[in-house]
Amino acid sequence: MELSRQRRFVTPAPEETIEDLAARALPDQPLQAAVDSIKSWNLHVFAMRRPPGLMLGSDVIFVEPPLAHG
Amino acid sequence: MREMAMFDVIVRGGTVVDGTGAPGFAGDVAVKDGRIAAVGQVSGEAKRVVDAQGRVVAPGFIDPHTHFDVQLLWDGAARPALEHGVTCVVPGNCSLSLAPLKASDRKAVVGMFQQIEEMPPEAFTTAFEWTWEDFAGYRSALEKGLSINVAPLVGHSVIRLWVMGPASQERAAFPDEIAAMQALLRECLEAGAVGLSTSFVDLDEHGRPVPSRYAQFEELDALCAVLGEFGRMLQVVPEFYATDITIARIDQLADLSIRHDIPTTFSPLFDTLAVPDNAERAIARVEEQFARGARVWPQMQTRPIDISFSLLRPSLFFARLPRWVRILRQPLEQRVAALNDPDTRAKMLADLGSDGGEAMFGRLVARGGDACPPEYVGKTLSEIAGLRGQPAGLALIELSLENGLDVAFLSAGQGHQSTDRIGPMLAHPLVHIGASDGGAHLASFSTYGDTGYLFSEFVRKAGAMSLEKAVAKITSETADIWGLKDRGRLATGQCADIVVFDPDAIARGDELPAFDMPGDGMRYVRAARGVDTVLVNGEVAYAAGAYTDSRSGVVCV
Ligand SMILES: [Zn+2]
Repeated sequence: MELSRQRRFVTPAPEETIEDLAARALPDQPLQAAVDSIKSWNLHVFAMRRPPGLMLGSDVIFVEPPLAHG
Repeated sequence: MREMAMFDVIVRGGTVVDGTGAPGFAGDVAVKDGRIAAVGQVSGEAKRVVDAQGRVVAPGFIDPHTHFDVQLLWDGAARPALEHGVTCVVPGNCSLSLAPLKASDRKAVVGMFQQIEEMPPEAFTTAFEWTWEDFAGYRSALEKGLSINVAPLVGHSVIRLWVMGPASQERAAFPDEIAAMQALLRECLEAGAVGLSTSFVDLDEHGRPVPSRYAQFEELDALCAVLGEFGRMLQVVPEFYATDITIARIDQLADLSIRHDIPTTFSPLFDTLAVPDNAERAIARVEEQFARGARVWPQMQTRPIDISFSLLRPSLFFARLPRWVRILRQPLEQRVAALNDPDTRAKMLADLGSDGGEAMFGRLVARGGDACPPEYVGKTLSEIAGLRGQPAGLALIELSLENGLDVAFLSAGQGHQSTDRIGPMLAHPLVHIGASDGGAHLASFSTYGDTGYLFSEFVRKAGAMSLEKAVAKITSETADIWGLKDRGRLATGQCADIVVFDPDAIARGDELPAFDMPGDGMRYVRAARGVDTVLVNGEVAYAAGAYTDSRSGVVCV
């Protein structure tokens, strides 16, 4: 059985910053746009967390927006 | 003349539901030396005969998600779990266990239990002597007084804390530290741990992520390689409030399961009308992952989410109101002062929105049985606020202050309450019934009686599954998922963990406060209904409404 496509994610590398991660995950985009996208797709890390943006090694960081489900 | 067989116990004349899911049949179950010696029409005599006329005789129930780590040290029956027919509990979930733990780190871990599992610090300081640091030492301390069986997990956070100290909540581990964690985990598994637990969501009492959350996937992978040497379980707490993240966790678990040939389980998985496709999507992903050979068992609880609280102590009810949490966490005197302070109070009320807390608090019900004035008992806070001519938030604060803060409110139906939706999920072959959180969240809700509720709500009322299926779900299936040898079935040679219950009456009792924790700590409990007799390893541990003084429980890994 083939796995259905689900939202793609990465996990942060040790000491990795949001800029490093954005450049790694979205290499074709301008850096600031990539950073903004990553932030907007990961409110669980960049908005809801205290302090906001504290990335942990075990985090799931989505590198694309939510997929449509039907 | 042939000698008559002599057994220790015969459970006579019941309907044997053997845990496999096969139809029940009329028969007896005979026990000798802690094991089942015969099932069927048994002739012979026994030192003790248990009359099971009109009753079901089933394997003891297994509760795979509990936090009885500390309670078991002074209450080897994990009351009231045992009287509900539970003969085996799995403590050590959610990355937290009491071993391996250096004496100097005890305070930190007690703080985590207090914050995450809502257990009072007195439970860790007054009721037992803390004699161990390593897992084998904890096991011996436990085994002094068990009347229930225990299959303990070891927590990733405490393993990390042991090896890394304060850095466990600061950074990724270095290769030599990962190797040390592997060695430590191996030692725990050799000493009887049933697996490893980790958490992706929890915070300690200072609001910092618990140590396990600082681990790279590579660290978890290395630890799972050690689990693979023993074929043991990995348990995780995923971000259960977010479906996409839960699915990402399912995929990580599936990879670990396949790579290391281990079972994995995540808990909890909730149904919620707020995100109606949450459980459905997670279960669909689990089906796909099982089809490719992974073992990723979602644990689902039977009971709806009800939360009670008073302003006497912090409560997860206020999780979305950080200011309230901060204030309620202060010592009593400062807390009362803060609640009386006009400035603080104005800020607290402002947090509730422009309706004065009506939407957030209006449906709360005053529970009664405490200092609440009788005229308010059973009324909603919205009604109480109306009677007092105040907005709901202010009524909550003032009514509490007027009565020494000892006014408890119930927030019912916070999710997972639709029997029609949940019944088929519980019956799903890949859904693991568990996630009771037994022994935790003491002042928020009762974590006891979920098995009774399975029968009363989902077998008798909704017909979502047969009685035999329900028994199998919490006996043989659990034993198989967790690799618990010789448990979960009534068959010759199996360990004699047996529950005798009335199929028409088994249920959970009403949720009531009890003051039986160390330091007169309060907790909500539910008594069992319809459970006659419970045997643990062949000895009667509970009968006719009372616990016996048998101590036949073991660490059963
Ligand atoms: Zn838990």
